Formats: sequence, structure tokens, C-alpha cells
Amino acid sequence: MTNRLEFSDITKAFPGIKALSEVSFCAECGQITALLGENGAGKSTLLKILSGDIKADNGEVLLDGEPQNFKAPSDALSAGISVIYQERQMVSSLSVMENIFAGELPRNRFGIINYKKLKTEAQKLIDLFELPLDARMTVGRLSVAQQQMVEIMRAYRRNSDVIAFDEPTASLAEAEITILFKLIKELARQGKIVIYVSHRMAEIFRITDKIIVLKDGKFVADLKTSETDERTLVKAMVGREIGDTFSKLSRCTEQGEMILEVKNLTTKKVTGINLSLRKGEIIGLAGLVGAGRTELARAIFGADKIDSGEVLIDGKNIRYKNPSGALALGIALCPEDRKEEGLVLFRSMKENITISVLSRIRKFLFLSNSEEKRLSDRAIEKYDIKTPSINELVGELSGGNQQKVILGRATNELMSTRVLILDEPTKGIDVGSKAEIYQMICDFAKTGIGVIVISSELPEVLNISDTIYVMANGRISGVLTREEASEETVLELAMAEQ
Amino acid sequence: MKRLKRIFGSNYLALIVVTAAVMLLFFILNNNFLALDNVKNLMNAVSFTGTITVGMALLLIAGEVDLASGAEACFGGVVCAMAINAGVPWPVALIIALVFGACCGLVNAFFVNVVHIMGFICTLGIMGIYNGLIRVVTDNHPIPAYEPSFWKLGSTTLFGIFPLPFVIMITLMVVYGLILTRTNFGRTIYMIGGNRRAARLCGINPQRIITALYVNNGMLAALAGVILTARMHNASPGAASTGAIDAITAAVLGGISFLGGVGGMGGCFIGILLITVFSAGLTATGLPSYWQIVAQGAILVFALSVDFFNSKARKRRLERDEIKRRRLHFESRATENQHRETD
Amino acid sequence: MTAIKTFLRSKNAILLFFLIALILAFAVLSGGGTLRPSNIVNILQSITIVSLLTIGAGTLMIAGEIDLSLGGIGTMSAFIAALLLKNGVPWFGALLAAVAVGAFVGLINGFLVNELGFQSFIATLATTSITTGVGYIFTGGMGVTIEDPVFRFIGNEFIGGYIPFSVLIAVIALVVYAVLLNKTKFGRSVYLVGGNRAAARIAGLKPKKILYGLFINAGALAALAGTLLASKLLVANTVGITSSQFAGLTAAILGGISFGGGTGGMGGAVIGIFILSCFNNGMTMVNIQPYWQTVASGALLLAAISMDFLSTARRKKSEVKI
Repeated sequence: MTNRLEFSDITKAFPGIKALSEVSFCAECGQITALLGENGAGKSTLLKILSGDIKADNGEVLLDGEPQNFKAPSDALSAGISVIYQERQMVSSLSVMENIFAGELPRNRFGIINYKKLKTEAQKLIDLFELPLDARMTVGRLSVAQQQMVEIMRAYRRNSDVIAFDEPTASLAEAEITILFKLIKELARQGKIVIYVSHRMAEIFRITDKIIVLKDGKFVADLKTSETDERTLVKAMVGREIGDTFSKLSRCTEQGEMILEVKNLTTKKVTGINLSLRKGEIIGLAGLVGAGRTELARAIFGADKIDSGEVLIDGKNIRYKNPSGALALGIALCPEDRKEEGLVLFRSMKENITISVLSRIRKFLFLSNSEEKRLSDRAIEKYDIKTPSINELVGELSGGNQQKVILGRATNELMSTRVLILDEPTKGIDVGSKAEIYQMICDFAKTGIGVIVISSELPEVLNISDTIYVMANGRISGVLTREEASEETVLELAMAEQ
Repeated sequence: MKRLKRIFGSNYLALIVVTAAVMLLFFILNNNFLALDNVKNLMNAVSFTGTITVGMALLLIAGEVDLASGAEACFGGVVCAMAINAGVPWPVALIIALVFGACCGLVNAFFVNVVHIMGFICTLGIMGIYNGLIRVVTDNHPIPAYEPSFWKLGSTTLFGIFPLPFVIMITLMVVYGLILTRTNFGRTIYMIGGNRRAARLCGINPQRIITALYVNNGMLAALAGVILTARMHNASPGAASTGAIDAITAAVLGGISFLGGVGGMGGCFIGILLITVFSAGLTATGLPSYWQIVAQGAILVFALSVDFFNSKARKRRLERDEIKRRRLHFESRATENQHRETD
Repeated sequence: MTAIKTFLRSKNAILLFFLIALILAFAVLSGGGTLRPSNIVNILQSITIVSLLTIGAGTLMIAGEIDLSLGGIGTMSAFIAALLLKNGVPWFGALLAAVAVGAFVGLINGFLVNELGFQSFIATLATTSITTGVGYIFTGGMGVTIEDPVFRFIGNEFIGGYIPFSVLIAVIALVVYAVLLNKTKFGRSVYLVGGNRAAARIAGLKPKKILYGLFINAGALAALAGTLLASKLLVANTVGITSSQFAGLTAAILGGISFGGGTGGMGGAVIGIFILSCFNNGMTMVNIQPYWQTVASGALLLAAISMDFLSTARRKKSEVKI
């Protein structure tokens, strides 16, 4: 039984970034220790080091004062450490029970798997977690929440002394969260060391005993949960007090004629969407994750197939089958997932800026170097992109600067963008840059661009949009103006059943 | 019925029907096709590809592949024949060949695990090297293996109908089928193929397993080569040039996805049967041998298409789940927000 | 000055030094035999076919795909050209038909990859056996001799006494594709699609269209290469250019075109082609047995891939940012 887990001077650098520098703290048995910090603060890296997934450049993990040397996750597991990752680590083609007992299936003395025992043991665990599952079901057929629970069951089954949770509730429903919290508290009561990583303040105050705050890979604070409050924590996370970012916004006050109208649009994921956008207007698309907002944006942008309904540009019904058709009409999309869909990470910043306008920077048959340089320099200047040169690989830039490159691409002068769709434009961006991006959005509107902003952060949607469309279950459940909208009304609509 | 389904995979029925239809077709075209002698030939032909496929199937399930399998089989046969010619008793020669095959597998594993080259690319290069070496060693001539007791390995018939090579193949399939479904090691192979990172985080050492699979594959390929040598009484340098491709085709046809993580031995067996029956049938009908090459390609495309349509169906299933998932997400966020207010 | 400095730090510089070292080594080993004009002509002649295949395979690799059917396409097309010539079709008709057939097989490859979602590696493996088999069927596995004077000229004549005519084709092709890749929208798109297909699509490029273009292009070039080889040997046979296909892949990888897609270029490819040709030629010149040469070529391919993957691994590592 381990009583004390200690991190001592942990340092880890990745090329171009110092993920952790000299982080030291300890977690005691019987306590739930929260790990708190912004995106990129180094929480996940710390957990990866704890689980033996990656090695620290410097520093040690100590169990009861004994320094550990984990070469692979198997070492950490045998030392009694289980980590539950945010990205679910499931084999979707295998059954629930096999995933729970992965690599350690119960066997008879000839080494043959005892499926009967496997099933009863797995079912016992499932019942403990109060889930309506059959142990033999294929994991691929479970919902995300259920998969997450299976992941947790796997760690629970190992009966490790140290259990670390990385944002376990991200995809769980309240019923499941209640059960999970009950189990986590039970673990602590049994004298285990529990580490709990989360963004959600409410949860942290609900179950943890002490809080470790990280910022930019450095240890900032070690606080008792009962002796602190939300404001102190935010200040510690961000490093300064956050004022009101929205009251200082300079907005666009004039709206022009209608540029985009969506009538009765239906795709596989959304049904009967009606929406209209004027010049200079900012529409906010609110709703819960999975309500169909991204899918609506992709449909308008021509990235997904439209089953029925029409999209009218300047009152004309125009059908385009792919994103390039949409771009030709002046519709641009900045996707949510920058790394997967937004940027070509291993190509230069210049190439990423001009990707959409290649046919417009041609002289005869050839791409014009000077034109490419001009466009890139303009984007750098206009959006204050911090890059050593326009030939720098985009993957080397920081998240905020990457987002600005995407904005620069979507709004450069050759694009003649008239409708700009931004999907979670501030996701994974630090607080300071967020304010910059809000102002940019308002500036776009001022130049007569119609903007559609998708955001999961309610204050963001409520404050920057002129009109708020709330989506639920693939439909528009309500339309509000900024004046009408409040957190309560939007939430109520977002939760509306059909 | 359910049991059958588990053994042969989900699309076994279609495969069995296709195989039966192909057999029937060739029977109609050539009434001697199902004569005892021809069936024996068929079983002999199946056994060579089949033995290679066993090892290949395990690799494919783990998301790896060995394109040098054919060359390894051939090399194994050559090594065995040379050992016999040097006066080594044949069982020892067999063991030497198996160890040699294991070493070949180790080389593959080295490039995959240590140098981190994708399996299919490095084994492509290695295949070239082995083919060259085989020709260096044999001077591009078949090496006779004169040892009548050794020939029995290829010519013995059990119960009057089952050639020993076929029995060996079936035994291997059953044993490896049991390993795949009934042992921790077997299930680990599926985990590695399905999600390598997850397997690693569960404390499994994927590199060690992959090394074992390559070594195993090399040994089985060498065994196939030795048996072929025993049957032919010599080791020919060009004997197994298409071995790897045949094995992959058979495995994919039998429901083992090229992407890893799914499939089993039952499907494999039908896959092998189908391609062997197909090419043997073509030969029996007197069509020129080049048609077989074309048919080989066509059948691979067919196998892949089956895989493709299967995954389409899988996609549709996933979409249905997506709707369910969306509802759950929705509930979760809703209650979370309520919670935030009340807490 | 800075241009020279950047070049010296680039991967191409390392490759160039390697090439020079290789040439010197073989020159010493062969007692200067490799540097004799007649041998240089030999080397030049051997690069033609490899160059065409390298261009086809290399551009596809930059876009993140691979084509293993180039050898099969070349063999089949050469047969078709030779048969057409035998039946009195004029030379340009035969050549055109061969190239068209190659392009068509490329289209099929593109279809299998784009529409049916096959992995290009395995889809083209299937078309390899189909095309090779069809080649055999047409001819019953026998070689078809070529007697057409124009084909004879293309394959065997020299310009100015020293430069083989076919080399001209290779040089023109290499220059054209280098310009295409570096200076045009299509070339840029190839890199961007290879780098991140989903992002390229969202940004308004059409990845499917580009892949179709590249597969068709590779097929056509392979057909051209096969026909050129036949015109050089004055016979279309079943051995054909299958071995050159791997030479093409090897040259592309040697030249720094990565399997991951999105990187590499024609400059590196040219050096890769020369490394390969000098290597093969050098081995013959120092009297290494042909079978050992096969072994050595395989080893060279393996070494090239290892280098490629070690550098990609470094690249991938730098991608990991928490």
C-alpha cells in the first residue's frame, strides 16, 4: 500500500516548447488531489509521465519516498498506478469484458481463458457502476459515455494504489457522474491516492480535498479546497484577474441587406434548418455538444451532403457540392479542429495562407512569389501573427497564432469573403488572445461580412452575437436577439426536446 | 449456428456459398474436378498457401504484414535441402530450416520495432534481398533433396484421403485458432491490431508481441517451404514467389481486415480454400496459366470490396449509435449546467 | 551566399555528397572504368526508364499514396504497342494507344482508392497482377519483337554521337515536373493534399481530383517507360520493367520523398536516380555477380527507407506538443 506520491522537480521539454519545468508536489493517500490549469499548462504531460507513457527529462516520481523508473506503462501499472485518459483507450472491436480485463483475462491453470469467470467478474463490476450493459457487447457499439465508464472500470478493476483521472466527466451524464463521484470518494476512503484533473470548477469543489494549480508548465499553488474560492483559483491559473472582456468590444451597428438564407435545410445530421444572415450581422450558434451546429456549418459550406432544402446567396438558389464551390461564392469556414481540418501542419505559414486562392495568384501558369509574400505579410501585419518568417512551418506556431493563420487565410483580400463561419474560434486559446479574437470578429462584421460563430461557451455567444440561434437535436429550437437572450433562456432552448 | 458464426466470422455464409458455387461450376465444366485424385491435389495445393496464411493472419490481425513470407518459405526449403545434401538427418534439417525462418522473422521485427519502418515497406525491401540471396545460394537452379524418408513428409496419406501436409495445416489452424480465441496472448494480438496505444497503456508490450508474431510467421513460412520441398523432392528458387500475396488475399478474403483487429482462423480457412479451388479449377479447365494471374488480382479486388461493403455497413451502425450518443451528450451537458447552478 | 548556405544545410546536399562519394568509390574500385565516356553513356541510358517511373511514383508519394502497379502497367503497355506495330499501326498510333492504356489503368487505380476507399498499396497490388496477367494473355508469354524504325531510333540513337535520344525525354520530363511541382497550383496542391487531406479539402482544394490526376499521370508515364524500354531492347517481353519499378520507388525514397506525404521534390529525386544508377552500374563494372546485385539493391532500398523513417520519426516527435 502506497501512502504518498511525490513529484520531484519534473521537467519535460518537447521540441519548441517546455511542457513542464521543475514541478514538485505531493499527493497523500485517502485524499482526492485536483490538478488544475489552463490548456497547455502541462496537466496531461504530467499524467503521461506518471503512467510511464513518456519519460521526464529530469526529476523523479517517488512512491513512499522510493524513486521510480518507469520505462513503459507496464512498469507503472505493476507499481500500482492507473491512469484514466481523456481520450478513451478502447479496442472497439472487442467486447466490454475483454476491454475491462485487457491483457489480464482470467485463465485456468493451462493458460486457457475462463470466459465464464471473465463474464461474471465483468458483470459484477458493471453492476457496481449501475450500468445497463451486457459484458459481451462490443465496445464499438457503446455510447461515448459508456465507453468512458468502461475505461474507468478497467482502472477500478486493477485495484491500484494510485488512480489518476484526466477529465473523466467530459462526456458523462449526471447520473453517471453521481455514480462516478461516489466511487471516487469510496476509493479515497479506502486509502487510495486519487488524482483528479478537470476544468470544471464545480466538480473540483464538489469532490476534491486539495488543489494543485499549474500554469505554463510551472507549479503555481497548492491549496486546500475548503480554504479557497473560484476567484482565487482563476487568478492563480491565469496569472492575473480577468476583467470584463466584452464591454470594451467595439461592435458593428449597421446591418445591410440579406446575403445568406438557409431554407428547410436537411442533411443526415440536421433537420429543417431555417436561417438568415445579413451583411455585418453576427449570428451565434448555441447548443450542446452534438446538437448539430458543426454539421450545419459543414452543410452550408458544402462539406457535407445536403439531402433537401436550399441555400440562397443574395436571394439566388445556388447549389455547390464541395467546399471549393462555397469558397468561390465567398463563404469561408474556419473549422473547430485546427490540426485535423484546419491547417497543413508540415507546410509553411505562407502556403497555408494562400491555399484557398492559389488560382488567383497565378501569373500565366505559375504561382507568383511576390503575391504570396505580399498576402502573407499582410496577414502577419493585420492579425499580429508572431512567426519568425513566412516560411516557418505552421505546426511550429502557438495555438493562438495558428488560429490567426486560419483567419488570415479565410479573410485575405483575394477571397472576397462575405460569409464567415467560425467553429469554436477560441477553443484552446489563452484568455489574452481570446479578447483579441472577439474584436477581430466584430471588425469583420464592420467590413460588411456576415459572421456565424459556433461556440460552446455561453458568455461568448451571448456577448458577441447580434442574433442567437439555439440548436437542439439537429434542429433550431429558438432564435433570440442579444437583448432577449440570457444564459437561462438559451439553456432552456438548448435542452428542449423536439 | 451462432457458434459457426463465431468461428467463421460474420460473412462466412457468403464465402461458403461462393466457394461451393465455384466448386460446382468447375465440377460442371470438368467432371473429374471432384475425383479423389484431384481432391488430393487440391488439398496438397491448399496446404502450402494455408500454412503461410496461418502466420500471416496473426500478423494481419495485429496490424502488421510480411511481404517476404513467400521468399522466406522458399529460403526455408532451400536451407533444408542443402542441409540434407550435407548429410544432416532430415528432422535436424527441418529444425535448422525452422530456426532459419525464425531468424528471418527476427530481421523483419528489427526493422519494424527498432528502425520504425512500416511492415509492408521494409518487408518489400527484405523480399528483394532474400530473392537475390536465394539465387546466389542456388545459382538459380533447383536443389535436389534426395532423401526418401524426408519425402514421406510430403507424400504420406492419412486414412487414405488426407495428405499429411493438409493435416499439418489443419492442425496448425486449429491450434492457432485456439490460441487466438482462448489465450491471453491471442486476445492481446487483437488489442494491438485494434488500438496499439490502448494496448500499451494497458501494460502490454506491443513490440514484444509483434516480434513474436514475425518470428512465428518466419517459422511457419519455412515449415511450408520444407513441406513443399519434401513434396517436390527439390527446392526451387522460384517456388514461392507469390506466397505472400496469396496468403494476404486468402486472409483478407476470409474476413481479416487489412487494418487489423478483426478476423479469425475459420474465415481464413475458407479464404484459402476459395482461392486454391479457384486457381486449381482454372488449371483443370485448361485455361492458360496467365489467366490465373489475372484471376488472382480480380479476386483480391473482390475480397477488398467485400471488406469495403462490410465496413460501410459498420459505418451505418456507427451512425445509429451516433444518434444515441448525441442524446447522451445532450443530457450530460444539461444536467451539468443545472448542477453548476445548484452547487 | 545565403542560398549556398541553405543548400549546404539541406538534405539534398547530404545526398549530393553521398553521390559524389559513391562515384569516387566506384571509380577507384573499377580502376577508372566507371568514368570512361562509353560507361557514362551507359549510365545515362539507364536513367531514362527509372526517371519516368520515379516521377510517377514520387508525385504520388508526395500526395501520400503509392502505386505498385507501374511495372505491370509498363509491361502490358509495351506489349500493346509492340502488337499494334506488328499489325501495321503507325508508330505514333502505337505509342498513343500504349500511353492511353496506361492512363486508363491509372484511372482504375484512382477509382479504387478514391471511390471504394482501398489502401492504395493493396489496390495497386491487385492491378499489378491483373495488368501483368493481361500482358501475358496477349502474347502467350512470348516476347514480341519491334522492327519499327522510329521506335528503333527513339530507343537506340545518339544525338551528337554521345547523348542517347531517350535521355532527352527523361531530362525534359524531369524539368517539366520540377516546374510543375514547384511553380504551379497543381504542384502546390499535391504537397498540401499530401500534408493534410481533410484540411486541404476544407480550404477549397479537391483532393480526389488531384489523386485521379496523379494516378493517371503515373500510369501514363509507366506506359511510356515500358514502351521506351521495349524500343531500346527492340522486344517487348514479360520481364519488362518490373524491376525498374522498385528502382523508381527506391530512387524517390533515396531522393528524400517521404512515405508520409507532403515532402520531397524533383531535385532530390534526380540525385536519387543518379545514386541508384551509379550504384547499379558500378556493381556491374566491378564485376559483382548479378544475384548479389539484386541483394545489394534490396539493401539500398532498405537503407533508404530507414533513413527516411528515422527523419520522419524525428519530425513526428516534434509534432508532440502536449
